[in-house]
Amino acid sequence: MTENPARESRLLRGVHRTVTGLHPALESVVAGIVGLLIGALLMYIWGFDPWKAYWALLRGAFGGSYEWASSLARGTPLVLTALTFSICVRAGMFNIGAEGQMMMGAMAAVCVALFAAPTGLHLVIGLVFAAVIGALWSVVPALLKVYRGVSEVISTIMFNWIGRWLALYLAIYVIVDPMRAEKTLTVPASARFPILVRGTDLSASVFLAVGVALVMYFLLWHTTMGYEVRAAGLNPTAARYGGIRNKRTMIVSFLLGGITSGLAGATIAMGLPPSYAIFGGGGFPELTNIGFDGMAVAMVGRNHPIGILLAAIFFGGLNAGGRVMQFYGSNPVPLEMIRVVMGAIVLAMAIPELIRLFPAVKKQGERLFAALRRRRETRSKEGEA
Amino acid sequence: MNENAGPGARRDADGYFLRAEAITKIYSDGTVALKEATLEIHPREIIGLLGENGAGKTTLTKILSGLLPPSHGRVVSPRGPVRFANPREALDFGIGMVHQHFALVGTFTATENVALSHERPFSRIRLAKTRERLEALMEESGLRVPLDVPVEKLAVGEQQRVEILKVLSRDVQLLILDEPTSVLTPLEVDELFALLHKLKEKGTSVILITHKLKEVKSITDRIVVLRHGEIVGDVRTAAATTERLAQLMVGKALEGEPTAVELSADQLPQTLAARRKKASSSEGILHVADLVARGNTGEIAVNGVTFDVHGGEIFGIAGVEGNGQSELVECLTGLRVPVSGVATIRGTNILGKDPRQIYRLGVAHVPEDRWRLGLVLPFTLAENAILGVHRWEEFQGPFGILRRGKVNQHVRKLMDRFDIQATGPNAPAKSLSGGNQQKLIVGRELAKDPAIIVASQPTRGLDIGAAKYIRDLLIEMRDNGRAILLVSADLDEVLALADQLAIMYEGRFMTLCRPDSLNREQIGMLMGGVACKEVA
Repeated sequence: MTENPARESRLLRGVHRTVTGLHPALESVVAGIVGLLIGALLMYIWGFDPWKAYWALLRGAFGGSYEWASSLARGTPLVLTALTFSICVRAGMFNIGAEGQMMMGAMAAVCVALFAAPTGLHLVIGLVFAAVIGALWSVVPALLKVYRGVSEVISTIMFNWIGRWLALYLAIYVIVDPMRAEKTLTVPASARFPILVRGTDLSASVFLAVGVALVMYFLLWHTTMGYEVRAAGLNPTAARYGGIRNKRTMIVSFLLGGITSGLAGATIAMGLPPSYAIFGGGGFPELTNIGFDGMAVAMVGRNHPIGILLAAIFFGGLNAGGRVMQFYGSNPVPLEMIRVVMGAIVLAMAIPELIRLFPAVKKQGERLFAALRRRRETRSKEGEA
Repeated sequence: MNENAGPGARRDADGYFLRAEAITKIYSDGTVALKEATLEIHPREIIGLLGENGAGKTTLTKILSGLLPPSHGRVVSPRGPVRFANPREALDFGIGMVHQHFALVGTFTATENVALSHERPFSRIRLAKTRERLEALMEESGLRVPLDVPVEKLAVGEQQRVEILKVLSRDVQLLILDEPTSVLTPLEVDELFALLHKLKEKGTSVILITHKLKEVKSITDRIVVLRHGEIVGDVRTAAATTERLAQLMVGKALEGEPTAVELSADQLPQTLAARRKKASSSEGILHVADLVARGNTGEIAVNGVTFDVHGGEIFGIAGVEGNGQSELVECLTGLRVPVSGVATIRGTNILGKDPRQIYRLGVAHVPEDRWRLGLVLPFTLAENAILGVHRWEEFQGPFGILRRGKVNQHVRKLMDRFDIQATGPNAPAKSLSGGNQQKLIVGRELAKDPAIIVASQPTRGLDIGAAKYIRDLLIEMRDNGRAILLVSADLDEVLALADQLAIMYEGRFMTLCRPDSLNREQIGMLMGGVACKEVA
């Protein structure tokens, strides 16, 4: 009995610490759960059975090797666009331009159809071309920022639109399939990623995505260049004091980001059976939102390449499972619900950040907590007496 | 409280506007900023609040203007005790403060800024009315500012006038100005003082925070001197001599009580011994001539400074902060490009080079702000330990690969050598105590094997043990023949350590001499901008 109050307060302190200093990875998991719960609530309101729907989603995402394969296939480009966002966040900037850079990369990759080359080499040429074009599309906002002080948020968003319409123009008028006006040229077999699981979209591009993520991890944490990028992102004045040229780190991070986004476009154009082409006529159904979803993946992955790999599997699973969910017999939940869940997850990710951002909120919370604890302590003392 | 026979005692009891009674302020980190300060403010008077950095001037005025609550003591008006929960309540009572850093919305016009300051939640903003009122006020006070130009387009002096107008438009009885002249040109200072006189004639009281002796002598009626949180003097300006004020401000030995200088000499027995056996190396390392640099707001901050620093010597720059010391250090370490002048390290020009190139020439820099400049706080100890040297061959392998093993070895050596208490090389720098953070910075800089160490406020905010440790390190480096440029607002520190002393005031050196050739009174006058002929 005498030990009780001490134990209680220790427990309370433990809970308090957990809530305020939530481990980053745990925050992501909690955000994922909160997002799914919000989705469940909405499904319930609309008269669906959330349990059945999520069961279908889970089975559709990870229920077997076919499902796993399609989840991974959908996660592959997201890894690459997420890297774009997170590298720039690490450098202290918001690069919203993955969408446009990815579309330009996809168009660049389709261009391999214009010439012939040996199998393998043809693929590599396409990847290099896509990476270069993605980097070029990304470096212009970086230069605008460094030399003219233009906010990278604004300029990358504008470049997204320029990229989208330019890509559409290319897809409809320039690299268009002469036989079928609604799509681009088909990427020849010599430049395609080999399919890993027959009958699914999973191609060898997944290795590319994982490899690029690992390379980026190495670059950021095990090279002096990455050291400089991270230092400049966390404290630009201290970086300057440390002899780091902040302008250079900005440009480097945007270049790296552009490369990964360009590659994301290439993985779609060169790794998506059966068409291996981009449908300009349909308004880019395969490309649209890959860049923006990448930002969500980056956030849930805590802007860390390894975290991004895990988050991309989750988001790929949501995408793949969502398709099954909408055809699930008696309980057809529309595909849009998955996007609601994704949005809710991103919002939930912001909650701990908000608490950190507004010290007043935190302070009030702590005060409330202290008051509660005091009351408990006095009560237990009274109990003893 | 040495001289509390202030004028208040002679006046009749109801003649005051406001009285601060035995106010003590203890900050949450335990710093005692004010000790039992008692101050009476009368209508129609200009009070000069004089003191060094950290003397408690700003704390006292913040309490009067409702920004801070006092820990003990109270503020009373003739109608009884008053308590301000925030600056708005103080303004309603008639107390307004103009801060050193203006609180203006840059893209708003003067009218809009003033209207904003009158705003309550959900109240309507009446621009036309505000404008009318401002015009009347400008007519009355002779204070002229363009009302329809965004304030960011105005000169600093004009912005300050907008701030003053903002406060005056609330019919204040007491106007508090925090270092108002530090950003003004001489002409603007004259205009400001003329305005203050006018306000005084109209019955307003003014408190002027300053460290400039000449100004305080020329404008005020009464001077209150603060030192280490205590009011040590409250004298009529007419009766005060510059020497006396300087002495009060800087402090003087009382019988039986060790002075600050003696104390620090006790803490640093090796210092004086070391000074006596001063290393004879006189190789000139740093040469600076006619250096002129602008500050962040475009004013001339460093105004023609010339000096040399030799190996085996500590060159101390004393002075009240904000007199160009920071800008001077930034010029010498590659963080600021000066307007003109010469600066060389062993004959190689360093002006306009970037920090990396300057470090290569053997410069180490202990920056004044360890959180903003010296450390990347979320980085680990190891990552911080190589900031600035991360590209050196020792840590950078082929293809720019960071040699993590070497870095960890290096940081372990630093932790041993400089007694840095931390859980390990991968502890985040923000988890370290202030003293250990500073030891990390100093250790990192000394490990560069520098020819010259530029140390700016190296012991600020540290406890006595850590401060002593860092001072000892500087002396050790000096005895090893390194040159040290020490910039500190802590006068005792500079006096205890320096072999050569310069006192900086408004971007110039007031003097350049051996520290023992001046007495404290002369130093106080020089810090306050009064040149003493007998010294030169």
